[in-house]
Order: sequence, then structure tokens, then C-alpha cells
Amino acid sequence: MKRRDFMISASAATAGAVLLPKMAFAAANRIDWYTSSDQNIIDFWTNIIKPKFEAANPGVTINLVDASDSAGLQAIEARSLAALGTNSDPQADFFEGSEARLPAGALDKGLYVDFSKENLSNYSKLNPLANDIPQNITYRGSQVLLAFDTTKLPADKAPKTWADLVAWIKANPGQFIYNRPDKGGSGAGFVQRAVYEANGKDPSKFKVENYTADAGGKALQAGFDLLKDLAPSLMDQGAYTSGNTQSIQLLSQGAVTMIPAWSDQSLSAIKQGVLPDTTALVQLSDLGFPGGFTRNNIPVNGVNKALAIKLQDFILNEDIQSAVITELGGFPGVSWDYVSKDLHDKYAALIPTSIPVFPAGDWSKALNDGWYRNVAPNVDRSK
Amino acid sequence: MSLAPASDIVGTQKSRGRPLGLLLVALPVLLVFWMVIFPIISAVVTTLWQKGSDGQYGLSLRTYQFFFSDPYSLSNLWLTLWVTIVAAIILLVVCLPIALYLRFAKSRLASYVQGLSIFPLFVPSIILSFAFIRVLGPNGAFDIILNALHLPKIRTPYLTPWGPLIGLVWDHIPLTVLILLAGLGAVSDASIEAARDVGAGRGRLLWHIILPRIGNSILVALSFSVLGIFSAFTLPYVLGPAAPEMMGPFMQRTFRDLYDPDNAITQAVISFFFCIAFGLFYVRSVVKNQRAR
Repeated sequence: MKRRDFMISASAATAGAVLLPKMAFAAANRIDWYTSSDQNIIDFWTNIIKPKFEAANPGVTINLVDASDSAGLQAIEARSLAALGTNSDPQADFFEGSEARLPAGALDKGLYVDFSKENLSNYSKLNPLANDIPQNITYRGSQVLLAFDTTKLPADKAPKTWADLVAWIKANPGQFIYNRPDKGGSGAGFVQRAVYEANGKDPSKFKVENYTADAGGKALQAGFDLLKDLAPSLMDQGAYTSGNTQSIQLLSQGAVTMIPAWSDQSLSAIKQGVLPDTTALVQLSDLGFPGGFTRNNIPVNGVNKALAIKLQDFILNEDIQSAVITELGGFPGVSWDYVSKDLHDKYAALIPTSIPVFPAGDWSKALNDGWYRNVAPNVDRSK
Repeated sequence: MSLAPASDIVGTQKSRGRPLGLLLVALPVLLVFWMVIFPIISAVVTTLWQKGSDGQYGLSLRTYQFFFSDPYSLSNLWLTLWVTIVAAIILLVVCLPIALYLRFAKSRLASYVQGLSIFPLFVPSIILSFAFIRVLGPNGAFDIILNALHLPKIRTPYLTPWGPLIGLVWDHIPLTVLILLAGLGAVSDASIEAARDVGAGRGRLLWHIILPRIGNSILVALSFSVLGIFSAFTLPYVLGPAAPEMMGPFMQRTFRDLYDPDNAITQAVISFFFCIAFGLFYVRSVVKNQRAR
């Protein structure tokens, strides 16, 4: 066949395939799995969880689909919610990195499985810090920590409380930087921790539904004042990087001594050699930096609901939970007593007693914009 | 330059050529209407025709009043204008000598210089940003060289307005050089030699012979780079300071983080009117050029 003919027929065939009406049904024994998480999580599922689960359950496959971000995932969930109303097939069985309170109405209409009633064998092992509504279940967590260069700051002299940290930053001007709170969770965690500090270290004052412009604005302003006070002692008298990665880059270039960073991101950066071995991590002991557990949801109307629940139980096994720590650099979803003792001892310094979670929605919005208007502008950085 | 090849596309037979020509032009015109003109009209209408406090839609300048009375928004606008104007001046200062050299040099070296000045065209801005951090950032390659020469460290331009400024200038060198070079093609060797024969020095040559011929190209080059710089996003996002922000990142943040499309669109409309002012320069010079023909 001439190349030209081949091209024409090939493109016609492709066009035909695309234009044909697409009728897809969820296959039995195929778990349709969707995530809002990043590539490292999809890799973790592809390389570790999928092969292990499929080996343990012959004939069952997991279809891993990247829904790109939480807006993308919510679109799929909205489809399941619509399917619930018409008793049709949602073609989705498992949502990773999800939130049962979304999309709006999902909880009221009973879209998601209530895990407290499903007799998961590992349900009792779940970390109590991850307690939320029973439709949300976790298997991994992450928190913001301080990552620092031990060649400049010996590990035993690292700050352990907010007051120590502030004292250290002021005593070592130019050696600390955090990123803009809307551009990455590590900087957001730092800003949120300052707001907690200014409000009696009490995260329970901040709930999704209790933001008011008046009281909320005052609570945030107190935190901003702490941060403004710190600004002249930051790198370049008040510079803020535009993301988690850029902060890690500055730490790796030795431009700063300490940054707030995500636990999983810094552990994998150390593992890959992006950050040198001399990097150490520490969590504040008076009140940790905020972070959170990743939630999974399972829709009640998925064709493979039983298998999806089995999968959720499977990823809480010690095997996978240890891999969450070693391969992903995350925190286990189960209590630390249920991971191997070696790992427990190795990460003892990082095991949080509390992981505060700053509420999304109005609070976060006000925090981010308020930070830009109050903390970021520098009157004079030239001095 | 001859127009013959362009008229060949339309066909030599006028009777058959005209509808075909219109058809060819229809696609870009439709696209411009659909993807540019319509969104502009829709944006302007959205920002002016808003739901009032009584729930009725009506003419309202609320978002514009907010923008022009909000010192934070205004400082973002000033920063954007400052970066744009300074970058345009630096571009002209850097690119005019390069273009003059490339026009008059006959050596092999000139082709290498040309290759080098076009190179930034092929570097995506996100790669440029991270390269910038590694070279001009704190403890970057530049600092290491200074240190090796026992010179003091520089204050890094990273995370200051100079960061995106330097990046944007580097990014816009190729286009500016190419446009200026095209303009210099209009300066004939004969006119230069004639001026030399009557004793004109280099300065006079530039001022009286070359600049008057390429004034148009300079204007076109500047308006192109100004339009690009005003709406830049990646470089100000990664390299710029947290506050004040340039309009690109500011709009994106207002839209995505603050879920405030009305104010984001208002910022876009205001940016658009500044760009239109620069764009008019370009259109005017093109029209003038065509009339001259």
C-alpha cells in the first residue's frame, strides 16, 4: 500500500472510532478508580497497590483513572449522584483524594458508603486523628514539617516550639523562607500555624461553617501581625517563593537553612537526592503544622461496590501502610502501632500527636487574600 | 519585496479568484470574531451590567470603582506598567545594536550571533524560570563565579520585580531583533555609501539615515513586546515578588483562589484597554505603511 493511502485509511479509521457513538458499561470485577491526586500517588497505585491487590484477588482488575484535580473528580462524582437518581450505572467505584461533603447534596442523598457499617477488618486500626464523618475514610496522611540543613543547624538545636522557631528566625536573618499560601500547602501550613498561634493555639475555633468577616477577620489579622513581624528576618527581607518546589530548591542550593515543607515531598526529595542526606525534618511539639489525611469515598451505586470496599480494607493492611511510609513518604492511615516496629522507631520524631486541619472554603479564601494584602507587601526591602 | 507570490495563491484568474480569496480569509475573520471580539464584548458587558443589591440587573461601575480605589490593585497595575516600560527600553537598547551589527557585518561570526539571538525563541518560559533560579538565584551559578573571583555576592533579582523583568527581556530578544532586522533591510547600502561620501560620521549616519527609515519597525517591535510583557504570566508567577503582583498572576489568583470572576474580568478589561493603546500604535504604523505604498 502506498504511504499516502495508508495515511488516509488510518486517519479515516481513527476518525470513525472517535465518531461512533460510545456505549460503555462498567465491567464486572473491574474497579473503576478515580483520583484527584498528583502523579506520585498514581504511580504508587500503579506500581504497588494494583499488582498486590490483583495478585491477592485473581480475576479482579483495577482501572486507574486520573481525574486531574478535585474539580475533575467532583465532575465524576456528580455523574454518580445523577446516576443515583435514575438508578443507572455510574461507571465509578472508588474515589481517591475525595471529600464526602462534595459535590453538594451527595451526603443528604446517601451517595457514599458509610464505612462504620461495613465491617472492615482494619477499621479499628484507623488513626483516631483521622476521625471524620464515617463516609470519609483514609489510608494516608501528610503534614507540613520544618526541613532544615544540619550542616548549618545541628539537629539537636532545631526549634521545637513556635516560640523557639520565631527566636531562631530572628537570630538568623535571611535563613528562612516560606511560600505564598495559595501557591502550595507548605506555605499555607506555616501561615495557618501563625493564625493558630495568635488565637490561643486552638484549632477548634476554626470550622468550615463559622467564618464571619468581622470575628474571622480579626482572628486572621492577629496571625498576619505575627507574620509581618517576621518578614524582615526572612530571606531577602521578606521574599516568598511561589510554590513548594521552589522552597525545596532554595534549601537544596543552600540559600536558606530552613523551610516549611510537606512531609511526603521532603522525604521523597531526600530519597531522590534532590535534598542532601544532611537534611533533617522536625515537627513542632506544642502544636503541629496543619496537614491532613487523604479521604476516600465509595459510591453506593457502583457495580463493584463490594470489591471497592474490599480494596479499601486491603490498603489498610500493614504491608501497604508500610509502603505508604517507605515508598510514598506519607503517613499511615492506621495508628503508628500497626506499622512495623522498625518504621515506627525510625520516624518516632515525626509522629504527630495532633494534625490540625485548617478549614477549606471561606476561611482559606480570607486567609489567602488577607495574606497578600497584609503580609506580602513590603514597604521597604532595599535596606 | 514583491507581492507576486501572495497574489498567486489567490489565482491568476480574477473571476474565479475572488470568492476563493474571501473564503480563505473567512476562517481567520470568523475565528477572531468568535474567540477574540465576542469575549471582549461579553467581558465588558459582564463587568458593567451587574446584579444590584435589590436583585435587579443594571448598569454598575462597582467593580471598576473597587479597582481604582483599592491601593493593592493599583500597585499591581503600576508594577505591570513599570515592568513593561522598563523592559521595552532595555529591549531597544539591547536589540538595536545587535540588529545593526547583523545588518552590516559580513563575517561568519555574524551568523553565530544571529543564531544566538534567536535562541530564546525555542526555550519554554517555565524552563527559563527554573534555569534563572539556578543561575541568578541565591547561591546560583553567578554567585559561584563571583565568589571564585573573590567578589562580593550580588543581591539576587529572584523574587523581586527585576526577576521577571530580566526574564521577559531575554524572552523577547528574538522577536525584537527579527523585526528590527527586517526594518534595516529597507536601508539601502547605496544611501549609506552616499552619506559616507559626503563625510557623514557613524553617529550622523545612524541619526539621519538609518533611524528615519526604521522608525516604523521600532514602533512595531516595541508594541509587540509591550503586548507580550503586559500579559505575561509564567515568568512573573515564578520569578516575581509575592506583592505587588503583575496583572497576569493577579487575575489568575482573583479568579481561581478567590472565586471572584467579576473582579478578575474587570482586571482583564482594564489590562485590555492598556494593551489596546499600545496595539493602536501598531495598527497605525501598518496603515501608514500601506498608504505609503
